[in-house]
Amino acid sequence: MNFEGLELSILGPACVAGLIVLVTHVPLGQQVLARGIIFIDLAIAQVAALGVILAQYFGMDEQGLGVEVAAAIAALAGGALLTFTDRKWPDYQEPLIGTLFVLAATGSLLLLANNPHGSEHLKDLLVGQILWVDLHRLIGVALLSAVLLGVMWWRRAQLAGPLFYAVFALAITASVQLVGVYLVFASLIVPALATTGAGGVRRLAAGYAIGVAGYVSGLVLSALLDLPSGAMIVWTLAGCGVLGRVLLLLSGALREPVAA
Amino acid sequence: MYKYAFLLIVAALFTAPSAHALQAFACEPEWGSLLTELGGDTVQVDVGTSALQDVHVIEAKPSLIAKVRRADLVVCSGADLEVGWLPQLIKQAGNPKVASGPGYFLASDQITTLEKPSKLDRSEGDIHPQGNPHFQLDPYRVLAIAKALDARLAELDPPHAAQYRQRLADFTTRWTAAIGKWEAKAAPLKGRKVVVHHLSWVYLNTWLGLEQIGALEPKPGVPPTSAHLAGLVELAKNQHAFAILRAAYQDQKPGDWLSAQTGVPAVTLPFTVGGDAQAKDLFGLFDDTIDKLLAVAK
Repeated sequence: MNFEGLELSILGPACVAGLIVLVTHVPLGQQVLARGIIFIDLAIAQVAALGVILAQYFGMDEQGLGVEVAAAIAALAGGALLTFTDRKWPDYQEPLIGTLFVLAATGSLLLLANNPHGSEHLKDLLVGQILWVDLHRLIGVALLSAVLLGVMWWRRAQLAGPLFYAVFALAITASVQLVGVYLVFASLIVPALATTGAGGVRRLAAGYAIGVAGYVSGLVLSALLDLPSGAMIVWTLAGCGVLGRVLLLLSGALREPVAA
Repeated sequence: MYKYAFLLIVAALFTAPSAHALQAFACEPEWGSLLTELGGDTVQVDVGTSALQDVHVIEAKPSLIAKVRRADLVVCSGADLEVGWLPQLIKQAGNPKVASGPGYFLASDQITTLEKPSKLDRSEGDIHPQGNPHFQLDPYRVLAIAKALDARLAELDPPHAAQYRQRLADFTTRWTAAIGKWEAKAAPLKGRKVVVHHLSWVYLNTWLGLEQIGALEPKPGVPPTSAHLAGLVELAKNQHAFAILRAAYQDQKPGDWLSAQTGVPAVTLPFTVGGDAQAKDLFGLFDDTIDKLLAVAK
């Protein structure tokens, strides 16, 4: 046991970052699961990273707003491409997403072949570290999340096609740089998966509860066990997902025991 | 859950503060070892990384922030080695004592680095603008850093200044004697040719007179091209390299591959304190590095 990292001022900002990510990712995760395109977040994150590397390749400054804009534009372009393929070849959307993922990932490697800090850079973009969150980025992502949540609420019935992919691309681009790709995947999929079969508002509430419990317990455990926080939270999220599923089953809140 | 978390937080607040005069945080084990040599029991040392990890990139753990938060002095290699995480760590720790000024000690500021590019140009590709940051394997630079670090300890903790001076004198005597011993022992290595895994051996090579004829992965993390590898196999064979050098934390596969292609033995060196069982402190690090090199040089 290790109590020295257990300070609110250390874990607090990370916890806030997690909550901001959950706000948009729990409802988006349900959509992703319903559409059966669970690897879309990895693909979009890689495309956003590719956009940043391209921008730098053409001489853009490493820090600053330009990079954020480049990431967002690349992610939106990736979203638009996936909207197109979704319409044209709906049956092959998942393999197409997988192909986009590997193309974006290896494209970055090819672009970085002459950059001495290439791999570090790529890792920074994809493995955002939740303990390193800084206030400016937190505020920016919070504002963006509020807007995206507003759009999702406003168009809740028809969040389909281009609008879904656009909202998704922006949410993922922001959250990946904040908490990293593993946590983004877990925040999207685990709450949605654990609550399949529950209805509407109750599903959303259960999803948020699982997410919050996962982040809080993961941060506390990572401090106590002195382990990397991001990886720890992925595991506590999964644990809380199983626990939440059991509680939902016991309370009879599910329409059917196993539902897609 | 929340109730218990709160209790644990309260418990953490009551952990007794350190009885040591000075609390130091070392980014790498070699500086932790040097702090112990110079500070003895007066300085309590936390080390942020181990010899078995790549210090360019580290995972964020809550304890790291806590250690920097309570430190009076942070000691790191500098020259952009920790650029990926140290600025964030210091910012997150919010400890003004180590954010700048005497509490922030970069070893690279105390010495001249090698491979410092004369012109800053992106087209050069594989360059560290501040020079190569892996200088812990040059004992002369370590000594220069020890002197500067000792002065810093005395500045931060004047009541113990005499003790730090005394310990530095003692360390300098033992270190200088050891350098003589190492140089005599390693004399047969002079002029021998090596292939390296990454470009992290230039200081050792320069000190011992080893000649580096090639590198497996000249750009860290970016896989080498097939043309580069083919050229390297030729080079290692024709020029009679005697060893392929790699650090304890590095992947064994590229070195093993080249070794199998050329018959040149791959040797895993500790690279820093803690890299293997023999490298328990700075003296052990150099003893073991030279022993391992001599073992394959025959």
